[in-house]
Amino acid sequence: MIAVYDGSFEGFLTLVHSIYYKRLTITNISQTMPQTLFVDDIIEIESNQAQATKVLQALQEKFEKKHFETILNTFMCDGVAFELDLMHFIIMGFRNPKQLSNINLPFVFNIQNYQKELFRLYHRMSGFIRFEELSCGTLYGMIDVKFNILHLLGRHFCKRFNNQSFIIHDTKRQLAFIKSDEFVGVRSVVEFETPTLSTHEAKFKKLWQSFFESVAIESRHNPKLQQQFVPLIYRTYMSEFD
Amino acid sequence: MKKDIYSKMQILSDSAKYDVSCSSSGSDNDYKSGELGATESSGICHSFSEDGRCISLLKVLLSNYCIYDCAYCINRSSNDIQRAAFAPRELAEITINFYKRNYIEGLFLSSGIMHSEDHTMGLILRTLKILRHEYRFNGYIHVKLIPGSDERLISEVVALASRVSSNIELPSNESLKLLAPNKTKESVLQPLKLARDMTMERSSKPIGMSTQLIVGATPESDRDILRLSAALYDKALLKRVYYSAYIPVNDDKNLPALVAKPPLLREHRLYQADWLLRFYNFSYDEIVSPTNPNLDEEVDPKMSWALHNLQHFPIEINRATQEELIRIPGIGIRSAFKILGARRYKALNFDDLKRLKISIKKAHYFITCKGKRHKQIPLYPEHIKNSYLAPPQRYTQPSLFDHSAITGEI
Repeated sequence: MIAVYDGSFEGFLTLVHSIYYKRLTITNISQTMPQTLFVDDIIEIESNQAQATKVLQALQEKFEKKHFETILNTFMCDGVAFELDLMHFIIMGFRNPKQLSNINLPFVFNIQNYQKELFRLYHRMSGFIRFEELSCGTLYGMIDVKFNILHLLGRHFCKRFNNQSFIIHDTKRQLAFIKSDEFVGVRSVVEFETPTLSTHEAKFKKLWQSFFESVAIESRHNPKLQQQFVPLIYRTYMSEFD
Repeated sequence: MKKDIYSKMQILSDSAKYDVSCSSSGSDNDYKSGELGATESSGICHSFSEDGRCISLLKVLLSNYCIYDCAYCINRSSNDIQRAAFAPRELAEITINFYKRNYIEGLFLSSGIMHSEDHTMGLILRTLKILRHEYRFNGYIHVKLIPGSDERLISEVVALASRVSSNIELPSNESLKLLAPNKTKESVLQPLKLARDMTMERSSKPIGMSTQLIVGATPESDRDILRLSAALYDKALLKRVYYSAYIPVNDDKNLPALVAKPPLLREHRLYQADWLLRFYNFSYDEIVSPTNPNLDEEVDPKMSWALHNLQHFPIEINRATQEELIRIPGIGIRSAFKILGARRYKALNFDDLKRLKISIKKAHYFITCKGKRHKQIPLYPEHIKNSYLAPPQRYTQPSLFDHSAITGEI
């Protein structure tokens, strides 16, 4: 049976509720209606607040803290089809929590790898994201990444830019992490105008580029290694690669 | 002529680039509210330069004017190169603005010796004070201590920096005498010892320190180098030793003739050996023996050790302790943890290892799974080495029309 849900966390929890109580056997989980005809049945899950809350409470009570966090983290891995593995993980957690660290089980192994990939991406972006100073003094950075790491990055930069206001704009998901005097947290970005930069911006960008060029040692020239460390996909918003 | 800020940056980062250390790791100070900056214990790389090295810190010299005349150094006083110097405030402002744009993790500050050691150290201290006190900067600052400067200055710098270092550069006193007549090993180590003792008085944890050794400029063997590193780690003097393949920047009668390429492979093998010292509980004696004083360039040091110590192998994956597992070539700390975690639930075979994405390319010569070996390659150094180094045979099906794509000729 193929399950279709709306892609929200609530929807997913509702799906878990249905699977658990209706004892469905699910072979695939999708966010969109499959276009081709399948012999399989298709079940459409509608988000249900009450059922979702019930599952969420059960997750908090029955799961160890680290496994609960794993579930939340996995849900941020929206660039891969994590749903089926996560469903197996949750159901196993209710039935036999000891098995949740058994990496011989394919879904446990996969979930650990998604999580690893998420943290690797977060770690990379914590270095590769670039901010520009706006005319009002706020720091503004854009990202376009595979997974939703906005909350992780937000927490990281709240520590580091403790006396600054900043915005991290996820252009793919149309979300932004905002830290200002009035508000700290994630907001969705409906409309967006290109902001005006501060007058210093060009100077420091140029200084940075000049530093970047002269710090390389010619006799060790190795662009292949460079690309291994900074794949092209990350270079969109990095001014030194312009 | 007064230089503009861009050419200053260009000159002073160009002069600093031969310092290999650029890590910001191992220093974990949490953020302070109302301040700018925090450090991360894992370190963060913010970019990678065209030579593939990580850029984590704004690595510059405060000045490349220098009164010393060290043979290997690009900034030696007898060299005719462009000279420049930052004013402390100017450099502090650049650091803060780079940090706010997330270009860097912090500052790596070194300097040529202007006028005197104390004068130079004083300017460095001024830069640090502006950053820490005026800008309330709480990020990473690494300072090269100037050997021979006043103890009080060193103590003030140590109190403000996240990490300090002093480069030994050459692994023996003889080589130092030859190439850096103004330095001795004692004078280089003096500020480090001082810094350790001072921080130990204040807390139980000494400030993180590192040094750098130039490889390939003088005749020391890898054994000499690793023995020195091991001794420095053992005395808890240093957190890191960096190895820098010698790149000829000067022509001097005491230096090796200009070589075409820096000894990068040797440098790489030394780093691998260094990792074995720091994370894998190897002693330098195990890695390089008096009979083989240099590291094997063909295989990595752990593989080389295993080939010389085959009496310990094969190791049974399902019973070995963690210490034994990490001594298997090709099995790192992470793979060892995966094996330990997975074998609590079942006895592992080679397919299980594959499923856990543990590479057995090197390891399979040295392990058994449930008593079985992967391929029956005899446990002799030559057999293993030949099999490992032999290029895998590729069978390509010959084409029926095997002709040149350009001329069409068969």
